[in-house]
Amino acid sequence: MDLKTIIFYVFAALLIFAALRVITARNPVHAALYLVLAFFNAGGLWLTLQAEFLAITLVMVYVGAVMVLFLFVIMMLDIDIKRLRQGFWRNMPLAATLGVLMVAEMALVLSTDYFGPVAFPGTKMGADYSNTRELGRLLFTDYVYPFELASIILLVAIIAAVVLTLRRRKDVKHLDPVQQVAVKHSDRLRVLQMPAEKEGE
Amino acid sequence: MITLSHYLILAAILFAIGVVGIFLNRKNLIVLLMAIELMLLAVNLNFVAFSHYLNDLSGQLFVFFILTVAAAESSIGLAILVVLFRNLSTIDVDDLDGLKG
Amino acid sequence: MEASVLHFFEWLWGPYWSTLWAWFKPVWPLIWVIMKIVAILVPLLLGVAYMTYAERKILGFMHVRIGPNRVGPLGLLQPIADGLKLFFKEVILPTKADPALYFMAPALAMAPAVAVWAVVPFFDGVVLANLDAGVLFLLAVSSLGVYGVIIAGWASNSKYPFLGSIRSAAQMVSYEVAMGLALVCVLMVSNSLNLTDIVHAQGRGIFADWGVGALSWNWLPLWPVFLVYLISGVAETNRAPFDVVEGESEIVAGHMVEYSGMAFAMFFLAEYANMILVAAMVTVFFLGGWLSPVGFLPDGLPWMLAKMSLMLFLFLWLRATFPRYRYDQIMRLGWKVFVPVCLIWIPVVGVWMMSPFNIWE
Repeated sequence: MDLKTIIFYVFAALLIFAALRVITARNPVHAALYLVLAFFNAGGLWLTLQAEFLAITLVMVYVGAVMVLFLFVIMMLDIDIKRLRQGFWRNMPLAATLGVLMVAEMALVLSTDYFGPVAFPGTKMGADYSNTRELGRLLFTDYVYPFELASIILLVAIIAAVVLTLRRRKDVKHLDPVQQVAVKHSDRLRVLQMPAEKEGE
Repeated sequence: MITLSHYLILAAILFAIGVVGIFLNRKNLIVLLMAIELMLLAVNLNFVAFSHYLNDLSGQLFVFFILTVAAAESSIGLAILVVLFRNLSTIDVDDLDGLKG
Repeated sequence: MEASVLHFFEWLWGPYWSTLWAWFKPVWPLIWVIMKIVAILVPLLLGVAYMTYAERKILGFMHVRIGPNRVGPLGLLQPIADGLKLFFKEVILPTKADPALYFMAPALAMAPAVAVWAVVPFFDGVVLANLDAGVLFLLAVSSLGVYGVIIAGWASNSKYPFLGSIRSAAQMVSYEVAMGLALVCVLMVSNSLNLTDIVHAQGRGIFADWGVGALSWNWLPLWPVFLVYLISGVAETNRAPFDVVEGESEIVAGHMVEYSGMAFAMFFLAEYANMILVAAMVTVFFLGGWLSPVGFLPDGLPWMLAKMSLMLFLFLWLRATFPRYRYDQIMRLGWKVFVPVCLIWIPVVGVWMMSPFNIWE
């Protein structure tokens, strides 16, 4: 067994373990952290496939941003874990059968010679090959319209998330600093003209 | 020697775990979202593996776009979840029966 | 460099060298990498220790008082005394805490702060891993630092740590956006994601040809972005005036309330390692790394260290000068000021690069 094989099996085993814990963990916070572990291992596997740009992007986008968002939301919600776990063991036999069947069928199909080393020998890049440069070249030439579309999707997502969660609470007493600053002395202060002495004295 | 089949079977297992997760955690909206992320990860793994073994970078670009869309999806999903919790104070899927039909 | 180290060992072991080398040859690449890691980490941790000393001395100077002066000459052994004290203290586990995550959090805070140094170039070629996508690695790993804080706050199962972790989650994610957008400008003008190339790109230009290289570094043409990056860096490390995550006067010490002894020391180390990292990053991206500011002096590591020290002094100066921001003002600054500034400056730089006035040719 060469080093690459060992690395593959270590990452694959950790990935499957983490994925199993994601769906079985009692506490959603633990599940989210196991999902982080799963993303890390997937990133490692992508590195062995010489996709270093995507591996780092996966860690940056998913671990650095999306999962933080998940954790943030899970921690903010006060949820009743017991009630949400009802039916977990009742669904287990059916789910396990289905999962095992799926994996067995896929494995039967995928382990044939159609996907073997003869049909797909793999590629070995030279030392001066830059995955980032090649991806960038392709992204800004052939795929420039999909790229723009993706940016529009992100923009829509930003606006949608803000619009969905924005609320102006009516029961909060607060001052508007703009109004405070813009106030003129004539709004607040009335200068009365009064004689300095009583009349007739 | 690691061949394409290894990666494809790993992705299949990952995808199956995602499906099983949706079965098991039918009530918990957050874990459902996380199971969907697992399935997307399996798909991405397939794309990257094919891209490597076919020596075609288009697969990796697809992963790039999937990452974009998935990030958008989970951010909107979580926003909906927050609004839901604010109005119903539950994230149990069984309680989301406001739409009768 | 590798050859000279081997030569030194050969001189050190003399006649036994050939037998030893026969044993160690297969694992030598591993040993060499570990040696390089140690060569980066030991000065870094010493720097962290003496950063705490420098902070107390400089703050003392700015407050017109003396600062630590009891332990050793000029108080120079103070960090070691502090470290020993923390080392011998008991690490307390709160009853309702989540034990595994509670003890994992300090390590999760420390690990990214140290791991990022793998791609930081100190001099031409003196870098642990000369990654093509170095900037991406930097952004990815430094964004992991938030996990230590979030998990610490949640696992403590206590209200002030929890508030601190919620604050830090929102703050650090927001400022990462501004930092990433600021770096886009740097990437545009230097045409590379490799940190060494970014430094080299700053050594070229009209001013560098005239002998005043300092004016061709990125800080001048990218001035607004430089400010955004610098301030976001302070916010990212949760330092004053953006230290609402700890905020002693409002939420005691945020995520660190329940921690004691070495677990607490780890958070402390991580914070200072991150500070030094941000100083190094500002130096590499905007202040020309190891390049000499004037043409007649040679480039070298001392320049890098001098620029980093300047930045670190600036951080301490900020802490002594400004009162703490209010939380909603921090978020407003990040999203409504810094992000638009970067978004405007990116097309400006793009048009500038396409125009005949392009100075980055």
